[in-house]
Amino acid sequence: MDIRFEDAEVRFAGRTVLLPVRLDLTERRIGIIGLNGSGKTTFARLINGLVRPSKGRILVDGLDVTAEPDAVRRQVGYIFQNPQNQIILPIVRDDIALGLKNSRLPKGEIEFRVQAMLERLSIGELGGRRAHELSGGELQLAALAAILVTEPRLLILDEPTNQLDLRNRNRVLQTITSLPQQLIVITHDLGLLDGFDRVLLFDQGRLVGDGVPADVIAQYEALAA
Amino acid sequence: MKTLYAEGDSILHRASARSKLVGLLLAGILTFLVTSIPLLIGLLVASALLLLSTRLGLKDLLRRLVPLAVTISILCGLTMLLQTVETGIISLLRLTLLLLVSTAVTATTAISDVMDEITAAATPLERLGLLRAADIGLAIGLVIRFVPEVAERYEVLRDAHTARGIRPKTLSLLVPLIILTLRDADEIAAAIDARGVRR
Ligand SMILES: Nc1ncnc2c1ncn2[C@@H]1O[C@H](COP(=O)(O)OP(=O)(O)OP(=O)(O)O)[C@@H](O)[C@H]1O
Ligand SMILES: [Mg+2]
Repeated sequence: MDIRFEDAEVRFAGRTVLLPVRLDLTERRIGIIGLNGSGKTTFARLINGLVRPSKGRILVDGLDVTAEPDAVRRQVGYIFQNPQNQIILPIVRDDIALGLKNSRLPKGEIEFRVQAMLERLSIGELGGRRAHELSGGELQLAALAAILVTEPRLLILDEPTNQLDLRNRNRVLQTITSLPQQLIVITHDLGLLDGFDRVLLFDQGRLVGDGVPADVIAQYEALAA
Repeated sequence: MKTLYAEGDSILHRASARSKLVGLLLAGILTFLVTSIPLLIGLLVASALLLLSTRLGLKDLLRRLVPLAVTISILCGLTMLLQTVETGIISLLRLTLLLLVSTAVTATTAISDVMDEITAAATPLERLGLLRAADIGLAIGLVIRFVPEVAERYEVLRDAHTARGIRPKTLSLLVPLIILTLRDADEIAAAIDARGVRR
């Protein structure tokens, strides 16, 4: 999809959190890095209208996100920095099915798709579990299943490997690498960005780096030193 | 998180959500039509058996029943003092009966099924253009989901106070509880938007 920022700026309570950005994102694999509080989540949330720009606008495939948030959200899946907050129903299977409730699919078909999605992510055994008893890695995968089942064309992942042990981190990495969708990944885990097409670096609400991973990561390391 | 729903395969678990919700409604109406104490006691025993048929563990049962049972006792104690002893006893029996039946229903019915049934029940109102049925289902589903979560957060806050050597007082717990709950409510609302659950 074509994501276009036209001088979008974000202010919270008078404080500028994101300085005006103008850019066009079309690559298949896009990374976002930067220190804590630099504005990464705010930037990403602009794309599906969870945060509204105080100035400027964001167009996703030509649709103005502020004017038509629902049309944009149908195409854009978003996994929150804390996926716990996006699990709406307590049982994993029910929560995944919830995303299909508006699809008018027959009940049997919904159940079939939910199970197929669980199996695709190799978490078939999690279907009957309570979402809030899952481990961090399982929760991340369950949240991913709940989003993927609606077949978004773009997927935004906010720190998908945060708090995961090495095995779960690699499992999530493997899963997202194999996704055919366009991806935007916010991360502090720089190894995730191997093979990415483009990486953005934010610092204090300003876009300060934009290029191939090696260059931008080097810039980030210099900035953090 | 604690959930009100407890997995199992008792008869009540296997009964349809609709029949349980209608049954609960009828039990509620019936209870308030009956005024004979012996009959109420009989119904109470029946509802206790119903609850036992769910095969919930004793500890789980107590956790579910005690908080409301305490409230009911206080309320009925006051009724006995302020009105007649008989009125107090009748209210005690009625409310306890409802507590047992509703506990049996919530423990054996998944939230998503309750949501579906409520949405179906609200559909005639949607036809009249009064509301969106799916919203009612979602709203009630969210309430059921969050009751145990807020209770759990209260316990976490209390432990956090104790761990730091501060004696937990209700008021000093209530303020952070409300703030945390509102903040999470915002995130859940964002998730509902982002996931397109409501449209
Ligand atoms: N709803 C809000 N109200 C007020 N300020 C906010 C809000 N959301 C974010 N901020 C502020 O905006 C700034 C950027 O926050 P953001 O969450 O985008 O950072 P981030 O780069 O994602 O950080 P992290 O790596 O810690 O997740 C922070 O200073 C934060 O305190
Ligand atoms: Mg963030």
